[in-house]
Amino acid sequence: MKALKLILFLVPALALAGSDYQITDLLTASTTANSRSTEWKPGQGITLEVSGMDWLPDGRLAVVIRKGEVWIVSNPHAEKTADVTFKLFASGLHEPLGLRVDGDSLLVTQRTEVTRLRDVNGDGVADEYLTEASGWNVSGAYHAYAYGPKKDREGNEWMTLNVDMGERTDNTKGWRGWAVIKGPDGGIIPMSAGFRSPCGLGANSEGDMFCVDQQGTWIPATPVFHLRKGIFALNPEGIDSQNLPGSPLKLAAPVPNKVPYPEALKAVPQMVPPALWLPYNKAGRSGTDIVAIDAGGKFGPFDGQILVAEFTDAKLHRGFLEKVDGEYQGAVFPFIGGFASGIVRLSFSKEGDLFVGMTSRGWSSLGTRAYGLQRVHWNGTIDFAIKEMRAKPDGFELVFTEPVDAATAGSIGSYKMNSFTYLYSSAYGSEEIDTKALDITAANVSADGLSVRLQVKGLRPVYVHELFAEGITSAKGAKLAHPAAWYTLNRVPKS
Amino acid sequence: MKGFLVPFAVLSCAGSLAAEPLVVAFERFHQSKPGAESGRLLFNELGCANCHGGSAEMPARTGPELAAITQRVNVEWVRDYLASPSKVKEGTAMPHFFAENGEDDVEAVIHYLASLKPKSASKPKTSKYLNAERGSDVYHTMGCVTCHAPGKDFQPPAGTPEAKDFTHRSVALPEMQKKYSLATLTSFLMDPLKVRPDGRMPHIDMHDSDYADLAAYLLDYQHSDGTNAATLPALKLDKELVTKGKTLVEAMNCASCHDLPGTKKAAPLTIQNAAAGCMSSVPKPGTPRYELSDSQRTALTSFLSSSKQAPAPKLLAELSLQALNCTACHDRDGIGGADAARKAYFTGDHNLGDTGLHPPPLTDAGRKFKPEWLKGVLEGKNRVRPYLQTKMPRFGKATDALPAILATADAKEEKPLPDGDAEAGRKLLGVLGGNSCITCHKWAERPSLGIQALDISNLDKRLQPGWLRDYLINPASHRLGTLMPSFWPNGVAANQAVLGGDTDKQIAAILAFAKLSKGEPEGFPATTKGEFELIPSERPIVQRTFLEGTGTHAILVGFPAGIHLAFDGLNARPTVIWKGKFFDAYNTWFTRAAPFENPLGEVVAKWTASVSAAEVKFGGYRLDDKGVPSFLWQSGGTQVVEKFEPVDGKLQRTLTWDTAATTKPDITHPEGVEMTEAAGSTDGSRIFVYSWK
Repeated sequence: MKALKLILFLVPALALAGSDYQITDLLTASTTANSRSTEWKPGQGITLEVSGMDWLPDGRLAVVIRKGEVWIVSNPHAEKTADVTFKLFASGLHEPLGLRVDGDSLLVTQRTEVTRLRDVNGDGVADEYLTEASGWNVSGAYHAYAYGPKKDREGNEWMTLNVDMGERTDNTKGWRGWAVIKGPDGGIIPMSAGFRSPCGLGANSEGDMFCVDQQGTWIPATPVFHLRKGIFALNPEGIDSQNLPGSPLKLAAPVPNKVPYPEALKAVPQMVPPALWLPYNKAGRSGTDIVAIDAGGKFGPFDGQILVAEFTDAKLHRGFLEKVDGEYQGAVFPFIGGFASGIVRLSFSKEGDLFVGMTSRGWSSLGTRAYGLQRVHWNGTIDFAIKEMRAKPDGFELVFTEPVDAATAGSIGSYKMNSFTYLYSSAYGSEEIDTKALDITAANVSADGLSVRLQVKGLRPVYVHELFAEGITSAKGAKLAHPAAWYTLNRVPKS
Repeated sequence: MKGFLVPFAVLSCAGSLAAEPLVVAFERFHQSKPGAESGRLLFNELGCANCHGGSAEMPARTGPELAAITQRVNVEWVRDYLASPSKVKEGTAMPHFFAENGEDDVEAVIHYLASLKPKSASKPKTSKYLNAERGSDVYHTMGCVTCHAPGKDFQPPAGTPEAKDFTHRSVALPEMQKKYSLATLTSFLMDPLKVRPDGRMPHIDMHDSDYADLAAYLLDYQHSDGTNAATLPALKLDKELVTKGKTLVEAMNCASCHDLPGTKKAAPLTIQNAAAGCMSSVPKPGTPRYELSDSQRTALTSFLSSSKQAPAPKLLAELSLQALNCTACHDRDGIGGADAARKAYFTGDHNLGDTGLHPPPLTDAGRKFKPEWLKGVLEGKNRVRPYLQTKMPRFGKATDALPAILATADAKEEKPLPDGDAEAGRKLLGVLGGNSCITCHKWAERPSLGIQALDISNLDKRLQPGWLRDYLINPASHRLGTLMPSFWPNGVAANQAVLGGDTDKQIAAILAFAKLSKGEPEGFPATTKGEFELIPSERPIVQRTFLEGTGTHAILVGFPAGIHLAFDGLNARPTVIWKGKFFDAYNTWFTRAAPFENPLGEVVAKWTASVSAAEVKFGGYRLDDKGVPSFLWQSGGTQVVEKFEPVDGKLQRTLTWDTAATTKPDITHPEGVEMTEAAGSTDGSRIFVYSWK
């Protein structure tokens, strides 16, 4: 009877997750997400609307939540949820949306500044709230969120800033829609422009910094950008700051409106394409965070890849990145779904479990709970999946998690490919445009059965190349758990 | 991961491959001991009653709308289907009509049906943003799997029973890609009752995008833009075939089961020799052929040789629920509810135990519900279990008579409850000396204090008093596995303090309070207004917010002494002092719009904006052991520490800096206060005391 009960109880969380990864609730809201109600109320207990997470050296998890508190989570890996305990560390912050552990301090990014929190007297509660970095304009518009900080390989600490929307909007002033790094003497240094709602940042395993934005005005679908000094992404709403002292860029031409995206790239030299596009609704709707899979094999065979969190579908996508001509590009694959609430933050413990922080308040999510924290543990088995998708001069190479069935994987009829791009415009999101079916002329299976070389005619640079590999099976006869992949082919490799 | 590769068609017949028409409740509950009662179910569900009359009490079983059929179903599929219905859709109730080599007749019938105008055409719909994978989630969680088999590509989580463990056949899906276009399937799923008014394929209320994604999943359509999907082939009408088809359709009496405008329908046919007619395994040409199983034949024969009188109310209720397959989800008198394997596909709130995952039983439903409420449930209006992921569908006019059928079947002479004392009910429902109902149950918009069991503010509208009384005395006997304890075990009130411990009076009191529709049980935290008021009690409270007059960087400090202050963290200066209540944090904490706020109490003093020439830079604050913040700021390179503390009903302000610094801080004082400089105030440590009337 006990065993049966256990199964039935696990089903809700697992039903959509597949069984390779087990999702455990650490704390989820008793209230449902009533996303835009002005009467919404949290349930009893801690309102764990997670908006930032990082790890203390002793293995405890520091969590910052939207209402402005920091909680320290002890025993985050405990089998029984009751053994996971929470202790309040700091409070009174203004809608903080990021947290990083820095030595003996926690850095949190509030609406107005990055704050260094420290427990000086050793009672386990912060008594220093020092201004670590500030300098972006805060008009009071609700949409003016600030995220970060996250550290890259060189030690730069990156923050991203939304553009203003709603009442009091003023994007003409300091650095709205920009990515910045912490400067000396409590200031900031502007780095890249052209964002709208760059809700999450994260370095990949190489230490390069990426951010994820969301579809909206000027942004056709969720993009993942490699952040660098002097680049312009997509959204010109905050571009006036390029005229301020310290701006690292000045657009050589105004952005065009209502043109195919490849043409916009040509028209504005500073504009760079994202390393990944997550096509709208196919790969979630609103990307929210990025984390590198760097778990020493404890989270499946995907080390070196990134995970992209998503709010609306409460789902994770997996991103494979490679460099072509020195620039990142790559493919996105559906990965794990069925989370309790809109995902906003991801963090890996050193034990290799993924911690998923969620809050659905304010927007709509398929996650039924208002907020919470869940833990994802890899069970050691793995779905038959496309592990990697690499661009080749004449097509793509697919690498699988297990050997493929040579007959189905070697048949070109097992694959379908399209390529499409977006309309770059001030409208909200974009449809896929200029979609063309691609002619796959050969599918050659490697001797070990772990990869397939697709020869594809008519590759189009800058276009998203969409793959459906529904026809193939593994050598053991399994179908792909997720037959789709989307490769952002900014550059076709020459060799 | 194990491959799980069983196609729909194979899954749909766990057990034996059977050709007989599928009436789920017959197979589940009657097959092994067929009799007159289950024969009545078949007589209705196989449409016998449509030609032969009788069985008028049961929910009518009709065929789908066929007018303009080729606009919503692929004509080639219709050809195959009419030629051999049970081969194309296993278990269909549609009998074979056409002889072998009857292609010409089939074609004529199709032309006639295609020529008919539907009452209101279904407009094909789809979306530009499809996601078949999400469609799979919809299919496997919203309730489709209650009747249909899990998808061929669905990989159930470890431990979940697979389709092969299902104890009875699933309703087969036809080969979807042959039958529908993306747009016509989407349109069908959005409103199945429009073309299948008999409710056997009920309507589930979902978001529009869910139907579109579900259709994409069922058709294995892996692209995003549904507007590019293939449409159905057009049929060019042939007038001669239309005329011929009409003759055939009328001869076969199709209009008995299908609503066919302008088509003659035969008078009820008397059954002369049942065994030789439709029930024969080799019926005469022109007679519909059902591929009945022996058990089905026995049941039908038994029914036809019975008196065929109108069924007794209890039986009518039982058969009506079985005809509509309500018993797929609901148990009534120990019959029905999902089988053990399908149960695993019901999801919801596991905090509520079994009741959080599965629909309630319908035992005594006619005695339990007020008929008006039940009508609302069936019309999709009254939904009290938002935590069930599997949704109660709507069955359209098929359930119009159900509230009355159940009421008659379950009627019982009830001892009326005494008049209820609403105020005592309010106490009983609450947590202050009551039975703490709101610990688990929601009350209208108010979440409960613990697990979120169903809303009980509507008890009086929903439930009949007699049933409620019995239920409250022993919940577990009504719902196995419920977490609901009895507060009146064996009819004796556990709470003897209210209404003298009189069980009937207490239950009547609860109903009376619910009927008031005013107020709420005792013990909910204060309402949103004021619920998030910050009240400094032992230590000061520091909270940042947007504050009118202070700006976007406001740092509020509330002191237990009832004197509070706002500090501008942009310009590093105090801005306002108030007394009384401190601050309501609701909007700052929980409103997306992040409005500018105001102090709650009475403002006693304000600073005018500083006109200091020196550049001022804010550096944060430190809390001392009592939690009092000291603000840190620089002015012209001089580091200043500024602290406020209430002393004897006055506010003391201390500013300290290094006297060696070249720039002294520019200190301004608020308007509307009396200011004194305290003894001990010196250069580098100035202490001011503000007081007011």
